[in-house]
Amino acid sequence: MRYLMTNKAAETAPAPDERLHAEMGKFIEELTAAGVLLATGGLEPGGIRVASHGDEITVTDGPYAEAKEAVAGFALIEVRSQEEMLELARRFRKIVGDGECEIHQVFGP
Amino acid sequence: MTDVHRTVDAVWKLESAKIIAGLTRMVHDVGLAEELAQDALVSALEQWPAAGVPDNPGAWLMTVAKRRAVDHIRRSERARQQHERLAHELQQDQDPEDDTGRDDVLRLMFLSCHPVLPTPARVALTLHLLGGLTAAEIARAFLAGEPMIVRRIAEAKRTLAQRQVPFELPGEAEQAERLSSVLEVIYLIFNEGYSATSGDDLMRPGLCLEALRLGRLLAELAPHEAEVHGLVALMEIQASRSAARTGPSGEPVQLHEQNRGRWDQLLIRRGFTAMLRARQAGGAPGPYVLQAAIAVCHAQAPTAEDTDWKQIATLYHALSRLQPTPIVQLNRAVAVGMADGPQAGLELADTLTADPALQDYHLLPSVRGDLLLRLGRHQEARLEFQRAASLTRNAAERAFLLRRAEDIADTGPPLPTLGPAIEDFLGRDDLDAQTLRSYGQTLRRLRLSLGDRTPLPSVTAEQVTRVVTTAWGQAAAKTWNRHLSTLRSFGTWAGLDDLTAGLERRAEPRRPPAQAIGPAQLEALFGRTDLSLRERTLWRLLHESAAPVKAVLSLNVEDLDLDDRRARAGGTWVTWRSQTARLLPDLVAGRTRGPLFLSDRRPAPSRTPAPADLCPQTGRRRLSYERAEYLFKQATKTLDPAGNGYTLRQLKSQQ
Repeated sequence: MRYLMTNKAAETAPAPDERLHAEMGKFIEELTAAGVLLATGGLEPGGIRVASHGDEITVTDGPYAEAKEAVAGFALIEVRSQEEMLELARRFRKIVGDGECEIHQVFGP
Repeated sequence: MTDVHRTVDAVWKLESAKIIAGLTRMVHDVGLAEELAQDALVSALEQWPAAGVPDNPGAWLMTVAKRRAVDHIRRSERARQQHERLAHELQQDQDPEDDTGRDDVLRLMFLSCHPVLPTPARVALTLHLLGGLTAAEIARAFLAGEPMIVRRIAEAKRTLAQRQVPFELPGEAEQAERLSSVLEVIYLIFNEGYSATSGDDLMRPGLCLEALRLGRLLAELAPHEAEVHGLVALMEIQASRSAARTGPSGEPVQLHEQNRGRWDQLLIRRGFTAMLRARQAGGAPGPYVLQAAIAVCHAQAPTAEDTDWKQIATLYHALSRLQPTPIVQLNRAVAVGMADGPQAGLELADTLTADPALQDYHLLPSVRGDLLLRLGRHQEARLEFQRAASLTRNAAERAFLLRRAEDIADTGPPLPTLGPAIEDFLGRDDLDAQTLRSYGQTLRRLRLSLGDRTPLPSVTAEQVTRVVTTAWGQAAAKTWNRHLSTLRSFGTWAGLDDLTAGLERRAEPRRPPAQAIGPAQLEALFGRTDLSLRERTLWRLLHESAAPVKAVLSLNVEDLDLDDRRARAGGTWVTWRSQTARLLPDLVAGRTRGPLFLSDRRPAPSRTPAPADLCPQTGRRRLSYERAEYLFKQATKTLDPAGNGYTLRQLKSQQ
């Protein structure tokens, strides 16, 4: 099963430091080696919003949400079960500190 | 399962390979290592529900398991020798950046794919130890029974322990062979998932995922091996087509008809990346790199028409040199059929029809059907698709092939076809069970190889020659001749007289002369008082005449010349001496004609023998060879030092 995990950092989360970079680097390396992590990346804070209403398309520049709502990064994970996904998410949260993840199963291409 | 149970299970699946690998290095026995790891798992199940799941559950399990391993080693006799090493290893554990953990997992992989194990055991053990799958999960994935998988895993662990297979990375000398065994196991797992060989579903995605994970893991552990990256590239790209290769009702969709928009671009890109790593690793391309390169060609073509078939045919040509297997040749035929036209492809495919390895392989007639269709030879194509359908064990594939056959209009005149003809031939009521079984075996092969719907008049001697040579070319002369007789008999019945024109009977090697029964045993045998007159006479006659058993049993009363002690049997004379001469008049007992040796009972009304085998006076039938042989064997069991009893042929006196 494939899952998309998105990460939102809380305002109370510490600014990323060297320790965090090192631990994240190791975590990512480990998951890649285990064949679990298919793709991952960080997201720029601003972003662009494209909205449609009837025939009308509105494009607005971000940031379009409160900081705590902003998605900071994503990971596409391939595991055998939801429990495995949750276990990995738990480990991820331990590394990055305060904040929350959203996890959705990905269907098809 | 409670939440904690599920968590423990998930942690186990993610971490077990590392834990078992680390423990195996300590205790040098993978079976014991697994037991210790399972003990740790039990502790987790006991403690986590109350104390909560620890921050780093994998490390927790590893620590507990290692403590148990240390206890075990202390208890064991070899404690002293091992203490030193142990101290060293525990020190290493302080340093999590150490690479030993990774190397241990690689060692474990080489161990579970070790050539001392049979291939199914390698597969099961690898999924169990490296994938963390339970026996039940493996059994489900392979549609096998759980007890069988449990046994297979236990036997594999025992074999590794008995053969004292070391927990080491292979040395340079055996590196290539050992690595290719690991790659083979992973690709086997992938293929079992990708094209399930049996069952109703075309794919079992769980197995594909396991194989991909194992491959990706191996690629990190052995990054300098081009073939490892080749295999990963091959699997990623093949897996990228998963969604596109089955239709709405589970039927297979062929590569050139797949909706390429449904190909998983992420996996394709991962495949390309793996391919780049393979190229960077360097060396002459091996079989996996070549297969991956072919997969890359397909993945790069935006539409089926854009496929670079010339390039693919060239790659298959290179592959067929490394792996001259019929399957590779068949794939090459497909590529050549696309690159140089269907005629060229068909010519290549036709070289495979006489290959015994492919005689039951459904893709050969399926490929031929494709090529024939493109050549406009519709009727032949239809038959090939039907034959392919009868050969596949996969339900979805069978339905698909039958539909392909039905899509071709049957324009030929209604002709009698092979399948029903054979059924009629076997359905006659004058064949006994044994003949029926023997005929059935021969003709089933003909049906499978030529197809049930082949018009009977179109069956040629060349086709029959090919089928027989492919199936039984290596068989013993006797088997060969039996099949030939069946086909001749069928040909005559069906009015196809020259069906076996291309085939010749083979000389059957004479059986080595049976050891004659020793004089002491003979004396004991004939000294017995419980023998019936018939047996006594038959055995004396066989002994004194040294004539073939068949000839003696075929004797009739009217053939006997009692005065001259001889009888005419077929084209030869059977002669005897005084002992037989003394017994014969009593056995004849006034009969004037009919079989000399009679069975004990009258035949059942439904099994009336030929008149020549019936006694006109008593109504009994001639004693059969089988019955006579059976009685002799029973009677001589006590005489034979081996306890088997003798055969009638062994009665012949040594002359």
